[in-house]
Amino acid sequence: MAGSRQIERAAAAWLARRDGGDWSPGDQAQLDAWLAQSTAHRVAWLRLQAAWNQSDRLKALAAGVAPGEVPARGAWSASPYAPRGEAQASGQDDRATAEPLDPEEDARAVVAQASAAAPATAVTTAPLIGLTFTPRATPRSPRTARYAAAAAIALVAMSLLWGWQRYGVVEHRSYRTAIGALDTIGLADGSRATLSSDSRIDVALSRAQRHVALEHGEAFFDVAKDPGRPFAVDAGARRVIAVGTRFSVRRDGPDLRVVVTEGTVRLESEPVDGRTQPTTLLPAGSIALAGANGVLVRSGSIEDAERFVDWRNGYLVFRDTALSAAVAEFNRYNTRRLVIGDAAVGELRVGGNFRWSNAEVFVGLLEQAMPVRAERLPDRIVLHSR
Amino acid sequence: MDTALDAWFADEILVHEAALVHYLRRVWAHIDDVHDLRQEIYVRVYEAAGRARPHQPKSFLFATARHLMTDRLRRGRVVSIEPVGDFESLNVLVDEVTPERRLGARQNLRRLADAFDLLPGRCREVVWLRRVEELPQKEVAARMGITEKTVEKQVAKGMRLLAEHYYGATQSPADDAQDADRNREHGRKQTD
Repeated sequence: MAGSRQIERAAAAWLARRDGGDWSPGDQAQLDAWLAQSTAHRVAWLRLQAAWNQSDRLKALAAGVAPGEVPARGAWSASPYAPRGEAQASGQDDRATAEPLDPEEDARAVVAQASAAAPATAVTTAPLIGLTFTPRATPRSPRTARYAAAAAIALVAMSLLWGWQRYGVVEHRSYRTAIGALDTIGLADGSRATLSSDSRIDVALSRAQRHVALEHGEAFFDVAKDPGRPFAVDAGARRVIAVGTRFSVRRDGPDLRVVVTEGTVRLESEPVDGRTQPTTLLPAGSIALAGANGVLVRSGSIEDAERFVDWRNGYLVFRDTALSAAVAEFNRYNTRRLVIGDAAVGELRVGGNFRWSNAEVFVGLLEQAMPVRAERLPDRIVLHSR
Repeated sequence: MDTALDAWFADEILVHEAALVHYLRRVWAHIDDVHDLRQEIYVRVYEAAGRARPHQPKSFLFATARHLMTDRLRRGRVVSIEPVGDFESLNVLVDEVTPERRLGARQNLRRLADAFDLLPGRCREVVWLRRVEELPQKEVAARMGITEKTVEKQVAKGMRLLAEHYYGATQSPADDAQDADRNREHGRKQTD
């Protein structure tokens, strides 16, 4: 078999000849015979033909160029299409008008609008795309949120005490994990909790109630069915209640993320300034992000939701995720931190499944596949634009 | 002739060429083999897709690449491979790192313009006159004072180089290393 370069040359010669005119049925028959001769011929031909068909679009650049004149290299910025040296403005314009917006992109735009509508507080939508936005009646400052959180924890503590006196405690203990460690705990009621890296839960099971307080980090719950004894996870000012289901709850400072992979859970919030807050029902496939200024819910497929809890299997799954968000994920699991060196690096988008235990490999791959340079220091790795 | 398969091949496989070539260069010790490997991978993918279209074209493409390299190693046609890191994680990285198909029309045009600008002078002129202004071959030859045969040869060369730069281009044109890479390849193309 001829080498791939010869084949490519032959394919190009055929294509150029056909393109040049004077193309007879006899020529076509010969070409067909050549193409039928081997798949290697065919793929080489297809590839060149596809690119050549694409190059038809270069005509769009001819606007404003005098006929018979070949524009200088890189002279495209003057064209209305601004294919080169794309300015910031045109970049934004791109985002607003780019035609084949995929659904994710659409949804992101919705989030962007939503966050613009409530500019007082930052919305952390980083790892979540495709959310609908339920604005809270009054945006709260992080400070009141903290008071509310403290109050809620006190309240929980009090209710636990009350419950302990009233019903007698079946199990009451704390579990915690170090950075980079996972732990799965079998609870007395048959439920199981998987603690992510650097997480802590306080479990209080009584004969009438099942209470878990998520102090920090993330935990995935596989709840044993017991309709008479709801399973409630308290996290700050919010509470997630399930009957029998699988879901995860995660705290990021004042923010809470709930991912439901089976059954339905109820997300409740503490009253704010005496006003009760709406309760959100989350069916399987939901990803809810509760922040200081509201609850964002995305309802998607269960597979989609599963990928947010793939850390249980040792993986972090990214899909068109900003590098800044991906790095934050890695930092949940590793003591040697990844640091974003400049804003441009943070905005790069990454995808794929990565072992969270191996940030070093992740960084190596970034360096090879993206315009990233890594500065390796003993306690951290700084990522710079290249 | 299966035009649906051909269209599928262009839309689902060729768009990943940059990632594929990048991957091959990284794991295969002999850069000179990459062109050959690429073709053989395309052949295998095309033939397999003729029987049944893979659900995840990009993963399938890279799986095919790995199988081919394994086969070649086994047959001893190549003496050494440089193992770069952890093969397992390479597998997963290639899954999605470059979302080529997200390219909008403008980015696409920009990529074309970049590919076009990398053509050598005479070739670039011929391609412009033939492709954009759609002048007949004869007229291009007369205008440039070259034979029609030369015009055709330049078009053929333009086709090869455009395909190389268009499909082989990476996402960010600002990526210096990639540019250097492309230029180097460009230089080699012209000399061979």
